[in-house]
Amino acid sequence: MGSSCRFDEIEQTIAYNKRLFFTFCSFVLALVIYINLSFFQWPVIGIIASIPYFLINGIFFGYALFEKEDAFLRFMLGVLVLVMLLGFVGWLAVILYNLDVIRFTLVLLIVTTISSLLNKRKKKNDV
Amino acid sequence: MMYSEQGFTRFLRSSEILYLFLVALSFYLLFSSRTGEAHTVWEVLHPGFIPTLFVATSLLLVILLTSEKVAYKLFFIIVHSILVHSFFSIVFPVGDLSGQQIVLGRTRLIYDNAVLHGWPPWPVETIESRIYLVFRGENFLGALSVAFARMFSIDLLWIHLFLVPVLWGVFTPIAAYLTTSTLTHNDKVSVLAGLILSAFPYATYFGAISVHNSLGYIFFFYSLSFMLRSLNSNDFQTKALMVVFSFVAFLAHYLTGIMAFSLLLLTLAFRSYRGNNSSSLATRVSIVSSFLISVSLLPLSLIYLRFFRSDTYTSFTLDKLYKLPFQEIVGQFLFGELIYGSDIKTILLIIIGPTLAFFWMIRLLHGLKKGRRRKSRTRISFLFAASLVMLTDYGILKLFMSGLPLNEERLWVFRDFLAAPFVALVIYEIVLGVKSFLSTRSPAFSIAILKAIKIWPKALPKGLVLRVEGLLFTGLLFASGVLIPVFIAGWMTASLSVAYPQVAPLQTTWYELEAVNFIEKTTRKKYVVIGDQWTIFAGEMIVGVNNPRAFYFIEFNKTGYDLFVKMKENPSSAWMLSAMNYTDTTVAYFIVTEPRLGATEFNSTISKALQNGLQFYGPPEGFGNGKLYVFYYEK
Repeated sequence: MGSSCRFDEIEQTIAYNKRLFFTFCSFVLALVIYINLSFFQWPVIGIIASIPYFLINGIFFGYALFEKEDAFLRFMLGVLVLVMLLGFVGWLAVILYNLDVIRFTLVLLIVTTISSLLNKRKKKNDV
Repeated sequence: MMYSEQGFTRFLRSSEILYLFLVALSFYLLFSSRTGEAHTVWEVLHPGFIPTLFVATSLLLVILLTSEKVAYKLFFIIVHSILVHSFFSIVFPVGDLSGQQIVLGRTRLIYDNAVLHGWPPWPVETIESRIYLVFRGENFLGALSVAFARMFSIDLLWIHLFLVPVLWGVFTPIAAYLTTSTLTHNDKVSVLAGLILSAFPYATYFGAISVHNSLGYIFFFYSLSFMLRSLNSNDFQTKALMVVFSFVAFLAHYLTGIMAFSLLLLTLAFRSYRGNNSSSLATRVSIVSSFLISVSLLPLSLIYLRFFRSDTYTSFTLDKLYKLPFQEIVGQFLFGELIYGSDIKTILLIIIGPTLAFFWMIRLLHGLKKGRRRKSRTRISFLFAASLVMLTDYGILKLFMSGLPLNEERLWVFRDFLAAPFVALVIYEIVLGVKSFLSTRSPAFSIAILKAIKIWPKALPKGLVLRVEGLLFTGLLFASGVLIPVFIAGWMTASLSVAYPQVAPLQTTWYELEAVNFIEKTTRKKYVVIGDQWTIFAGEMIVGVNNPRAFYFIEFNKTGYDLFVKMKENPSSAWMLSAMNYTDTTVAYFIVTEPRLGATEFNSTISKALQNGLQFYGPPEGFGNGKLYVFYYEK
């Protein structure tokens, strides 16, 4: 019960995205992933940066597209859409040119932008 | 009352902790079964694994039948699902020896930036071929694998091995939950459907291998779920999601995409059925014509694939109908390839779920015929029609077509997805039936039994009668609370013995990987490796296929195969030089492996190579305690 409430609070805070704080965080995380890929290639940094990236963007998508579901399903479906979009934008990059480190970072930035825009549109509709 | 609720909560939490402990133990036992040389997972599986999994599954079923929160139940199912789909990835050093290694061979090219100017990296003659190659599911899976590998900074091999087992484990139970929830509005049945999907051997197998077809199934399942929702909804978002998931299913694999589009057509017809008077002629004609178009979409798309892919020879034929005896035709239609050499246990485990679901659908449709539950009727009718589309398409592909580019049995995974909600419904009805019997009729039932054996009321004292009643009550409670979960857990565990093959070729071994890794790490110049297809499988896991820097021929490349055969018959520097010239490389390696060639041929090839002056590469005793030798020649 407690943990569910806590997750709800986290979800609300992220989905509210005051002054685009979590969008900014998401861009920073994409940058961290880029720096790690370019210089260190440490899995620890990659995993630590990727988990909040999935959390933020999964919540954005879940909140924007599956509002009627309960918190757990909303988040999981949001993550599924995130995975789907990573695959789709990555696929576009592969067929047009390639998916090297720079283009992969662009993929992350594009996906973040889409999720933030959807979230913003949802908030606007709610108001 | 308070005490009993507290006691129940305590019992539930203890069960959940015990379940998580058993799953963790199962993972540990699976990891301890990991081996570098085996044919099947069953050869090396820890003897304690299956009993532990069985107990864990029984316990999970008991938890699912309680009033625990849906989120927790789904979490437990996801953990279970990841476990049962990870056998290959955990036990074998590089997963199952199958399509997933071929896919990884191509994905490596994307990961290692060997593709620089869009896909495909080789010249393509026609625009149709380019369209076909661009839309091949390997690209979508490859992009996703590379994206995850780059995000986590983990080698592509590990990401690729676990990509589908994890995505399948996480997302198919949720898709089953959503589909069943739309159908039944019952959380217990819905979570049960999420778990019961693991009882279908074909679905389990495809969830265990990282190929693009498996990824397509996941997206197909979601498109199905949103189609079902859209039947009774005008929500734009639901309709958009249904189309988007269908499109992504197509990007992942054309089979899953075409099937999703077939069902989209059917959805449109059923939506109009909902809106109109069901008995109107126009509605009926619309449904029948949509059904026919849906059925014909897959066979026709396979025929017209030849416009995009020149090496496709699919055609309609009546040969099988003329040549095969009647029993075999019926057998092939109902059981497919199972009629050739499968034992009765295998056949039963594969067909029991779908058969049960099919008859339950008919029963429900019959039951709803006179009722006013229009929404349920539309949804069940839609799923029934979708099942008929799958069944008819399977029959057409199996009996009326030849030269197919895929195995017809892949359609059975769709059938399993459609069946899971109904199987869960059957199980729930049985549990509910026993429970309702217990709560209302157990004393009367006990007395009836006692009367039947003519010992009531005179022969026995009242205390003993009460004891017998109690015994019967306990027996029924035991049946609903323990026996049913144990029986279903037994079914699910037994299904794994069919899902994971009992017979298979030797999987990629640790010494094949060691040799390939050794060559890659110690060679600075561009090189080519001549070897059998098993060596190529190992090579493509590490460096990919057709990599200009580290060249392994594509698995079924004729030049590569001819070079290996010639080297095997007469191992000489001339063939190695020819391979180097062909691939524009400066070093050539030749790999021979004893378990692949057989001891006699292996020894004879090594002797001839040494006589012809070829030198060993790597440790003088070879790799794998002399089971594999590498020869080299440099320009």
